[in-house]
Amino acid sequence: MGIKSYDDLDSMQLDALREIGNIGAGNAATALSATIGKPVNIDVPTVKILDINEAVEALGGAEKIVAGILVKLEEGIHGAMMSIQTLDVINLMLDSLLGTTVEGYEELDEMQISAVCEIANILMGSYINAISDMTEMAVNLSVPAISINMMGALITVPMATYCYEAEKIMMIEGKFSFDGIMHKHNLLLIPDVDSLTRVLTRLGVYNE
Amino acid sequence: MSSMATVGIAEMGVVKGEDQLITYALGSCIGVCIHDKNSKIAGMVHIMLPTAPTDGSGKSICRYADSGIPALIKKMESIGAVRRSFTAKIAGGAKMFNIPGDSVVGNIGDRNIEAVKKTLAELRIPIIGQDVGLDYARTMTFNANDGMVTIKAFTKGTSTW
Repeated sequence: MGIKSYDDLDSMQLDALREIGNIGAGNAATALSATIGKPVNIDVPTVKILDINEAVEALGGAEKIVAGILVKLEEGIHGAMMSIQTLDVINLMLDSLLGTTVEGYEELDEMQISAVCEIANILMGSYINAISDMTEMAVNLSVPAISINMMGALITVPMATYCYEAEKIMMIEGKFSFDGIMHKHNLLLIPDVDSLTRVLTRLGVYNE
Repeated sequence: MSSMATVGIAEMGVVKGEDQLITYALGSCIGVCIHDKNSKIAGMVHIMLPTAPTDGSGKSICRYADSGIPALIKKMESIGAVRRSFTAKIAGGAKMFNIPGDSVVGNIGDRNIEAVKKTLAELRIPIIGQDVGLDYARTMTFNANDGMVTIKAFTKGTSTW
């Protein structure tokens, strides 16, 4: 029996996936701190396995306008990862990196958009490194693509592309603070079904 | 009193008379609306993917164009709608992301449009209105009384047809 969906995972396997989230968050704190040049604290992230309509609600509703930054995963793991960023977090990053902020998404210029992509890439890369280290598999990230639009329309894209049968996705809700303010960032990790099985096997929590 | 029923992702809904259906934030997904103007029965399905897996492992039939549209029709007929008077309106199938050098992620919207059109053609249901493709999200409202669709798109305003 292969893993067909997240519904088939037992509690030990879910714990292994949560552990990836924990280590990834630690890596992300270090990387983020180096990028913005300030100390960053990160809380233990919440890892949730949700169906698509639950994920939409958890992220603030289908029509909420967000920036979604998508990377494709290749080699050891096939699938996608998406970072969801809201305007307040984007402004915080821009302020630290470039010393500028914007009133609305439509004001973002090319340089600011590439800064947003770069931050997302660093965050996602931190989690992918955690998976890569723990499973001893190489994982390649594609160049990130960004889309600013209704959240519901963004998160269905990687799900439609990589979860042909699986109906759930893994959401990592991280909390990080710097300058004394707490912020949330959400990452969606969407491995294809074969890759999920491979990860669990490598972590020693999957038996044929 | 008319009411508005929400159709989630990979779900369907059927209403009658003065009632309306709404589905939010169609990206590469497609909202398929079918109307019987005589009985004023309206059905909507929010599909994510073109075709159901052949091994029958897809649990949710409404995720796929080729299984979701027939399921919707069956549900409409079960409450008295008549297939020969059906007309369809469709929206969505956008390309939300453009990963350089990648065609898999980018093509999902196009593949959905193609599959929806093929399925409707096989069922002999004419498409009398569409707003598909391009690169933005659409929220779709469908009125059972007159079969009119309203699209609200981020930065593009609303249109009714």
